[in-house]
Amino acid sequence: MIEVNNLTKRFGDLCAVDHVNLHVENEVFGLLGPNGAGKSTIVRILATLLRPTEGTARICGYDVVKDPQKARSMISYVPQEMALDIKLTGRENVLLYAKLYGIPDRSRKVDEVLEVMELSDRSGDLVRTYSGGMRRRLELAQALVHEPEVLFLDEPTLGLDVAARRRIWRHISSLREHGIAIFMTTHYMEEADEYCDTVAIIDHGKIVALDTPKSLKSSLRQDVITINATGAFKGSDLDSVIFSGGDDGELRFLADHGESALPELSRELLQQGMTINSIAVRKPTLDDVFMDRVTTSEDDSAFDSYKFRTMLRRRR
Amino acid sequence: MSLMGSMWYYFERDLVKWTRWKVTVFAHLVTPAAWLIFVGLTLPVTFTDNYLEYLTPGIMVMSVLFASLQSGSLVIFDKVLGFLNKFFAMPAPRESYLFGKILFITFRGMVQATVIFCVAVLFGITVYGVTSILLTYLVLFLFGTLFASIATTIALAVDDHDGYAAINAMISMPLFFTSTALMPYDKMPGWLRTVASVNPVSHAIDSARVLLSGGDIALGEIVMLASGAAIVLAICTYVFRRATL
Repeated sequence: MIEVNNLTKRFGDLCAVDHVNLHVENEVFGLLGPNGAGKSTIVRILATLLRPTEGTARICGYDVVKDPQKARSMISYVPQEMALDIKLTGRENVLLYAKLYGIPDRSRKVDEVLEVMELSDRSGDLVRTYSGGMRRRLELAQALVHEPEVLFLDEPTLGLDVAARRRIWRHISSLREHGIAIFMTTHYMEEADEYCDTVAIIDHGKIVALDTPKSLKSSLRQDVITINATGAFKGSDLDSVIFSGGDDGELRFLADHGESALPELSRELLQQGMTINSIAVRKPTLDDVFMDRVTTSEDDSAFDSYKFRTMLRRRR
Repeated sequence: MSLMGSMWYYFERDLVKWTRWKVTVFAHLVTPAAWLIFVGLTLPVTFTDNYLEYLTPGIMVMSVLFASLQSGSLVIFDKVLGFLNKFFAMPAPRESYLFGKILFITFRGMVQATVIFCVAVLFGITVYGVTSILLTYLVLFLFGTLFASIATTIALAVDDHDGYAAINAMISMPLFFTSTALMPYDKMPGWLRTVASVNPVSHAIDSARVLLSGGDIALGEIVMLASGAAIVLAICTYVFRRATL
């Protein structure tokens, strides 16, 4: 349903998206990456809100640059900001979208999507009285009112509590079962691991990993060893482990057999004059894949304090 | 969805949002009426014995002017809060959003002007027939569209709410005081007369004043306002397209 070929976007000297190729069918597709890696830029290009510098993107066969009107009629886009009219009722918010999409028999359709999103009993209340999770579900209701083929979600669970997040994910999974392709970005690795069929990890505008969460995890060695130690780490000569990175005194190693590599590894660290505080061996998570593939962990994009304050205010 | 259809829905959205907060509506309607009463009934003028009647068209145009200028940043709010991203990912024509916004801004100013007119009638100004009132509203509509487009263009170009508020404060008062709202040309100092005669606010006020005192409007004035509004609207549409994609 989504075909992306050599997609590139430059802002001046900055190459936000660098020759990206993607293919998404009826599945939950998660785009992961550090802040500023180009996730939102890709989504915005696919949602026809930005023009690519190079390359093509097609939604259900329609080119987002040459045939944007057709592409728009296939998609829905839910940005992270939670843009809802708080002075209107939930039903009025959805009704506006039904009107703008020109839905026939819109009253019935609006009731139907509100029902699906479990908002029927509160649909007559002003949105300012809604919780964060309800607002996000209301946005999904808006997005579903014209029965899109592809749904773009930018950080759909950002800032929600655990119960609200579960509920959003349950809805997303059920939409996939109804034949909708879900293309989303997220920062929550555990969620991507649990709910996405395919994940792509993007770093500096390039795709650095693309597969099911399961195969990505098994592409790492069997075990992850984390050692909390003080002192200067001078590198490891052992064949049984690979150093995969570290911060704040926590070193991370990958090993095929964690338990047997452990004695060797701790001996080596002690010889280097380090003091070991704690050691743990565990199975790899998507976090480890992420840390292994991504080179930047620091967010150096300009922090938009106005937007941040606005978001906080609207969450209350 | 057609341009006119979706324009109406965007207009309706703003209208319902506005009317839902009763306090806001009340404040928007009382403020201009206060102008009319405090200025119209207190200023010691000598060139007319019914200053309120002279002032009414000026304050009507003023409320459309201020309403238009203050609403310029509505588009910025929708942009900052993420509404535009959602709207523009829909197949409805993007310009319909802009036209709906300008229509709402103009409409709100005209509602305020209506309150002024009703208050003035209560204070006993003479009313000269329905045609003159309808034509006055046509003038107000064209003038509102002109300044709603100017305001929105500036807001899109500045792209910052605080920056826009500063510009609004800077231009709104001079525009009003260099017009014929408070006094006729022949009572002005020479330099002010020159400025006032090229100020579009004066032209709108002059037309409204002639109409509301029972005279016939010069067709030229309406054509001029209409073409001014059309030109600025075209520029606004151009800036809007560039700012949003």
